[in-house]
Amino acid sequence: MDQFAQQLVNGLTLGSLYALIAVGYTVVYGIVQLINFAHGEIFMIGAFGALSTWLLFFEGETALWVLPFMILGAVAASVTTAVLMERIAYRPLRHAPRLAPLITAIGISVFLQEFIRLFYGRIPFADFPDAKQRVPFPQIDVVTGPAFQVGGVTIQRSALFTIGSLLMCAAGLWFFVNRTKTGRGMQAVSQDPDTARLMGINVNRIIVVAFAVGATLAAIAGVAQGLQVTNINFRMGFLAGLKAFTAAVLGGIGNVWGAVVGGLTLGIVEAMAVQFIPGTFGGSPWKDVWAFVLLILVLVFRPQGILGAKVVDRA
Amino acid sequence: MRKLRFSDATRTKQGPKAPWLAIAGGALMIVSGLLSWSYDDRILGDLSIRFFPAGIQIYSMLFGVIAVILGVLLLRRPPWLSPARGLRILGITALVFLVWVLGSIAYQSDGLINLNEGGWVALVGALLITVGGTLSPDVEINVLTWPRLSSTLEILIIVVLMAVLLFTVAYTLDIQDGVIFASFLVALIGLTGGLLGTGFGGYLGFLAANNRRPLLLAAFVVAFLFPFTQDGSDANMSIATQILIFAATALGLNIVVGLAGLLDLGYIAFLGTGAYVGAMLSNSAFATVGWKPPFVVVMLVGAATAATFGLIIGSPTLRVSGDYLAIVTLGFGEIFRLTMLNLDGTNGPRLTNGPNGIPAIPDLNFFGFDFGDVHTVAGIPLGRFSNYYFLLLLLLMFVMLVFVRLNDSRIGRGWVAIREDERAAEAMGVNVFGLKLLAFSVGAFLAGLAGTIKAHQDTSVTPEQYVFLESAFLLSAVVLGGMGTVMGVLVGATILKLLPEKLREVNDYRLLVFGLLLVVMMRFRPEGLVPSKRRQLEFHEDDTELVELVQAEHLQESK
Repeated sequence: MDQFAQQLVNGLTLGSLYALIAVGYTVVYGIVQLINFAHGEIFMIGAFGALSTWLLFFEGETALWVLPFMILGAVAASVTTAVLMERIAYRPLRHAPRLAPLITAIGISVFLQEFIRLFYGRIPFADFPDAKQRVPFPQIDVVTGPAFQVGGVTIQRSALFTIGSLLMCAAGLWFFVNRTKTGRGMQAVSQDPDTARLMGINVNRIIVVAFAVGATLAAIAGVAQGLQVTNINFRMGFLAGLKAFTAAVLGGIGNVWGAVVGGLTLGIVEAMAVQFIPGTFGGSPWKDVWAFVLLILVLVFRPQGILGAKVVDRA
Repeated sequence: MRKLRFSDATRTKQGPKAPWLAIAGGALMIVSGLLSWSYDDRILGDLSIRFFPAGIQIYSMLFGVIAVILGVLLLRRPPWLSPARGLRILGITALVFLVWVLGSIAYQSDGLINLNEGGWVALVGALLITVGGTLSPDVEINVLTWPRLSSTLEILIIVVLMAVLLFTVAYTLDIQDGVIFASFLVALIGLTGGLLGTGFGGYLGFLAANNRRPLLLAAFVVAFLFPFTQDGSDANMSIATQILIFAATALGLNIVVGLAGLLDLGYIAFLGTGAYVGAMLSNSAFATVGWKPPFVVVMLVGAATAATFGLIIGSPTLRVSGDYLAIVTLGFGEIFRLTMLNLDGTNGPRLTNGPNGIPAIPDLNFFGFDFGDVHTVAGIPLGRFSNYYFLLLLLLMFVMLVFVRLNDSRIGRGWVAIREDERAAEAMGVNVFGLKLLAFSVGAFLAGLAGTIKAHQDTSVTPEQYVFLESAFLLSAVVLGGMGTVMGVLVGATILKLLPEKLREVNDYRLLVFGLLLVVMMRFRPEGLVPSKRRQLEFHEDDTELVELVQAEHLQESK
């Protein structure tokens, strides 16, 4: 029983991370039907943005009041990258054949990874470490440190931070989507962009907002990941992005709450697979394989996902 | 043929003097080759001695010679040639060439002060050529006004050009210094561009269209002769075999992406499947399967395994949107890599030895012909890589054959229909699902075939060779060259594999540049460097000139 509870906690932590990233995929997909393949890199850049903020202004400081500033730095870095990306690379391709933006997305993804790898350590006037290897991430008081013991279950402080972030972000997102004018504009555009335009909604602005919202949550996920694993590297976005996309599909792509549900489900399935799949095909070496097998199974049997978004049927 | 137009009235007015400018510029560039370019004799293969031109000075002289020829032609004003266009191309590339060379000399010897008179003379010459070309009027030309030659003579022209090609390739690969290599490439682009830009290129295209078979034959003869130019050295042959494997695999991917329009981001896994099958069934001491069939059987098993994986991955996802397919193939690529890492005996059955892979794969042996040995043919030794080169050339020919035959068949038409509008195709009775699946499995089959040979050529197979970046790399070859064409992929594969090998200085920036390349290509030239006309039309629907061109082509085809 303890084992089950322990894996549930692990799964929820992992799942919260996936969910935070998955929202970015799903929001953008819901509005422009584009798989923003480079979203994983936005997550990675968020983590590096937080690290840079810390190195520039608070090096050596570990008090909790630093954390909000780090998050702000992360969000600034991610949102800037995402908005630039949309403006420079995606917008000109909005009416191009479907293959074009997807290939562009791969290009951006490779470019951003390599950019961080090659140039992070060489930014002038900033004494940043070389990013070709792993870079240690600052450990902040309160949110990292000795773990809690509840019965036989170990709960890391960073895990609580991750799950807490998801809860806060979900609440914020709910408020934004349902209670603000821009959020309702987003809903309208995702239902019918042409009609929304006729109703006076600036569709281009809404698309930029969608990218920015996704980037904000990804940046927070980046900070959470840094606190949890204690180091970050330029490759961290690739697998996380792929898993988060799986989560988005699992929950029903285009559906914001589907991304949250899908992320949590995927995280729990992965954690349980580590513990409960017997024989040699269980254990952590195979957990990623099971995650992708789950993706394929979902596409076969329920392509619209758990919560069933608007069924996407476009070539 | 796109028409060449008079650009504006001023050009015609100042016309008469312009050819002399170009001739003078050409003469200056010829003279510059005999002068000294730098004080330092250690830079770029010694450019410091007068009256003894080295590599770069000779390129400069070649620019001059062609400029003079074009200038003289411009004076005579032949109705069937437009030398002005050629001169412009020549002049501008000469400027690029000189800026690059002079910049490199200045960089390597700390400052422009270290340049000698030759470089400056050449720069003035290049400027004069550009000005001369810009001020001269274009001539409207039509290849049909070119003198018709007998078919024997036409074939002779093709043979001579192919021989020049072979010599150029051998010469290019022989250059060791990265800066000289780059400057030679610029010079090569300028010289051929200058010659072909005059309208000669249009004539050659006309010639090629008339003599398709001899051209193809000549091209393959040249490809077969290439190892004989290497004098037994394996350095360039190793690069050449890599290019061939890469090209064959990219061509297989082009069937999936270019013809059927399905984005496969895990294509490298199929190459890996073939390679692992080849390795496991080989005579390596680390091979994990006891069965040792002859290599032909291994090839078929490898290819069939890959095709089966293709079917398994493709069949569930082809029913949903194309974007899903992209991500699922990406997931499949990761599953493949992770599985190969895990099947090491502790985390699963021992099949692949995990991260260590399967090393020490012996060379192929066909009926006593050992691919590892040096064989001497006509007095020229042919090393290990040359042997694989011949085998891979056969493979590439096979893949090309499959590609072209499929493209020209009913199946190919079906793919075009699916690519352009899936629903309409389905309504017209095209078996959409079956054709997509076929594209997917044919692509996987060809990659598996290439993989079995790759295993022997690399002598070891490890999971790190088959990561996602390699898939992206293959995709960039297809995108760069041109989706849906054979020539495009060959060009793309050669550029992507050759340049990093020769330009070691920038090797670290390889991926950065490729990422950027994908973005820039999609933005500005989504149809690739060597596009098929129809594909180009799909990306530029409002280009009326192109529409007419494609329609005329279709009309000609149906006649």
